[in-house]
Amino acid sequence: MSFTTYDSRDERQIGRIIPDLIKARQLLFDLVWKDLRVRYRYAAMGFLWAVVEPLAFTLILTFVFSFVLADRAALANAASGPPFVVMLLCGLIFWQCFSVSLATATTSIVVNKNLVKKVRFTREVIPIATCCMPLVQLGIGFLMLIVAHLFLGGRIGFSLLYFPLLFAVQFSLTLGIALFLSCGHTYFRDVGNLVNVLLLFGFYASPVFYPLKLVYSDRLPVWAPYVYMANPMAGLLTAYRQILFEQRIPDITLLIWPVVCALLAVIVGAVLFRRHAATMADQL
Amino acid sequence: MSPIIEIQNISKEFPARRGFRDLRGKGGFTDWIRGHKEEKFAALRDISLSVEAGESLGIIGRNGSGKSTLLSIIAGVTLPTSGLVKVQGRVASLLELGAGFSPVLTGRENIYLNAGLLGMRHAQVDAVYDEIVRFSGIADFIDQPVETYSSGMYVRIGFSVAAFVNPDIFLADEVLAVGDEEFQRKCRRKIGELREQGKTIVFVSHDLGTINTLCERVVLLDNGKMMQRDTAQKTIIYYLRQVGREKGIHTFRDGAEEAIQCDGRITLFHEQEEISASTGFRVHLTSLGQEHSSTDAEWEVSDRNNNGCSATGSMARLPIQLIWELSFESGRLLWRIAMVCERECPVTNIAINFQIPVAYTRWLYGDLTGGFPDIEPTDTNWSVVVAPEAKSTETAVLPEAGSVMPPLMFRLQEGSSRFSLFWANTEYANYSRVLCVQAHFPDHDCVFSAGRHDLVEIEVDPTIPAARIEEHVFSSRTIRSGRVTARFESGCIRLLWDDQEITSYLHVYTSLLIEHLWNDSQSLQWRSITPIPGGIRFVGESRRFPFSQEWEVLEAESGIQLRIWLVTTDALTVQEYHSTVVLPAEYTQWKTDHEQGEFPEYDSEVPNWKHCNQSYAPGRSITSLSGTLPSITMSVDDECPQVRMTAINTSLRESSRVLQALHPSDVGRLQFTAGRHLYFSGTIRITPPKSE
Repeated sequence: MSFTTYDSRDERQIGRIIPDLIKARQLLFDLVWKDLRVRYRYAAMGFLWAVVEPLAFTLILTFVFSFVLADRAALANAASGPPFVVMLLCGLIFWQCFSVSLATATTSIVVNKNLVKKVRFTREVIPIATCCMPLVQLGIGFLMLIVAHLFLGGRIGFSLLYFPLLFAVQFSLTLGIALFLSCGHTYFRDVGNLVNVLLLFGFYASPVFYPLKLVYSDRLPVWAPYVYMANPMAGLLTAYRQILFEQRIPDITLLIWPVVCALLAVIVGAVLFRRHAATMADQL
Repeated sequence: MSPIIEIQNISKEFPARRGFRDLRGKGGFTDWIRGHKEEKFAALRDISLSVEAGESLGIIGRNGSGKSTLLSIIAGVTLPTSGLVKVQGRVASLLELGAGFSPVLTGRENIYLNAGLLGMRHAQVDAVYDEIVRFSGIADFIDQPVETYSSGMYVRIGFSVAAFVNPDIFLADEVLAVGDEEFQRKCRRKIGELREQGKTIVFVSHDLGTINTLCERVVLLDNGKMMQRDTAQKTIIYYLRQVGREKGIHTFRDGAEEAIQCDGRITLFHEQEEISASTGFRVHLTSLGQEHSSTDAEWEVSDRNNNGCSATGSMARLPIQLIWELSFESGRLLWRIAMVCERECPVTNIAINFQIPVAYTRWLYGDLTGGFPDIEPTDTNWSVVVAPEAKSTETAVLPEAGSVMPPLMFRLQEGSSRFSLFWANTEYANYSRVLCVQAHFPDHDCVFSAGRHDLVEIEVDPTIPAARIEEHVFSSRTIRSGRVTARFESGCIRLLWDDQEITSYLHVYTSLLIEHLWNDSQSLQWRSITPIPGGIRFVGESRRFPFSQEWEVLEAESGIQLRIWLVTTDALTVQEYHSTVVLPAEYTQWKTDHEQGEFPEYDSEVPNWKHCNQSYAPGRSITSLSGTLPSITMSVDDECPQVRMTAINTSLRESSRVLQALHPSDVGRLQFTAGRHLYFSGTIRITPPKSE
């Protein structure tokens, strides 16, 4: 049985995902490379845009919350915590990675329909490649974060090693949801729009520009934090901050739910995608 | 070995698409809420098929018959709704050339990406990268983003990648319809090569000619069902009959003969066997250096009936309509071609090409006959087989022995005098013989005025048995009188008695001695053969001296009457001339007005011709006798200038007897002024041998 042999009965077997992906690893790399080239090739500033984007976002949010809304935004005045800029950046880069991945991956199959309709290949590669794209931005953003953190008097230690572990959880979560959504988008083009709305909603409903502890405020009803924590990104973003600012293993209680979500998302996403991948071309 | 592609009972249904626009439509949202069943579209129904390695399969069918769906199922792009597909080996699909090219990437990057999609590692691509670039022929632009490419370059590079990734199975969907002529040829050759390398090819096309040449088996799909699956030829015939209702196509027949006019191409069948080659019979017009084929035109058939039709084809890029009138008349296909110009239009060349299979091996043209050379794989162009200077309006081909093909006779009807015929071999890719009926219009005379121009009428006659074909080819230059047949060949006349030749070697000819050179009539250029009442007139022109000869051969009682004029355009001095009948050695006796004698035995020592008679007095007739053959008498009439009748023996090598009406030099040189001079007028009579 060679890679090139094709049997319509085997196409939908879940067990083939892993071997297929291993064989298509080079294609995955090529596609990511292609996307990067397409995005940055003809920009005069090239990859510099990957820096400018989160930087601009950070600046505007810092301006808004540290100056314009300084009186009302108690969060910015929390003297005890880390500097606002660093806290914001720490949340923002990971959230952006999550959000951009999902937004682009959702439509990725439809965007690449000329490929999907014409050539047979491991379809999972497309959303996965799309999710890999924002990693570049994340990497650059992460460097900026570390620099800013050190510059503003922070310290770093071995706890930084927990970042990859934590990010692995986030990435699995992203992949799982991306597979699910991109598959859904081929059937209902509403999904793309819905995802954008939800992501905007999520931006405010996640501790991106405020710390998690604000949610446990007295002014909110008792059940609010529980609902809030149902968003797996809430736990993850807070955990990142714990690693960076408190230099310790993040709270396990924060992480249980995100890990469960990630596992569920990967399994559901992969299974669903595989079931529909073979006939996806009909919907395009 | 198991088949490389195995398809078992597959069906494919497409669900109705849901979306906002369909909210109230069929299969839409409200239907779904109300629990209506979705309307499904069945693209394929229960198709089973298997393709062995190395086989080439064609898929034909009308638009929407499921061809492309079947192809994409084989490609693994989508799955059948039910049934089983099994494909072993790497598939390179040319479903759409350049699909998956990213406009921003350079040609080089796209080659790697596209090859990656087809399942190749970078290292494998490295190995063939140079070949890909060379084949695509765009090496200069390979590091430019492909969005700067022309669409032709796009396609070139797409095809090159697919061709060189070394696939086991090659799927092609109408891909050869793109690119320029040269690249298309290149692609066909490449596909031919792949086929010879034992690759499997599955090919979807509307170009039946290509399908026929490339595919061994063809599947016909109609409305998602497999209608026919057989050899290319049989399926295509079936298809053409099926779609005969369509406007550009008409099938008509007469007895064993059947013809199909399909959008500017005529296909001819004899007892279900195709006698035209895959590309059929078509018309080509050359205007302003551009060639236009009748198959490029938009055709409409009017006046359909069982044994003919008339069809009008509007040329795509010329203000010209071709009007064809086709009919069968007792088994012969008559094809009348006219042209209607909407406005003045230059046409420098009109060619009607009759392509026929290589099973035809022998041609007859004018008075010549010969065999077609074999077509070698190195032949990339047409090679002319025979294009004599002598115009003839008829030609024929004979198939190899034991072939089911009938002999074919082509005849230009009257009024087609601008057209001439030649035979050629096509290039290897087409692998067929072709009769080209061609008219060339020089630049100063190539503008056709608006209106109708009748061009040519051609008869294709497959009804003549092989044994009689020669006779038919030569009929325009043959005279019969009782048991005598006289047949003109360029510069001489053969005489036959009961279809048996009784002249030999040079037959009946003339010769003039000018400036110590004998100008035999055979060496003249015989261009025109025209029928006249009771006979035929031939005109032959000398290439060396300013004269031509006009022969009139008329039917006479048991023989022929022959009159020969010398037409000079300038003063001409002739030293000697004669009109001569050459007979085989069986003739033993001669007799003139003055004496008689026997031809002697040949003397091997004597290399020259030897006069037998003693008297050179002017005479009126000479006769030769034989024991078994009929006697022959050449006599002159009163109009003829004075001649001396001479009996001559040839050398041993030529072994012939000669009867000559000689105008010898001893009466002084003959001065001809410019004009028309009769120099022979008389009869050649043949009387039965004494033994009868």
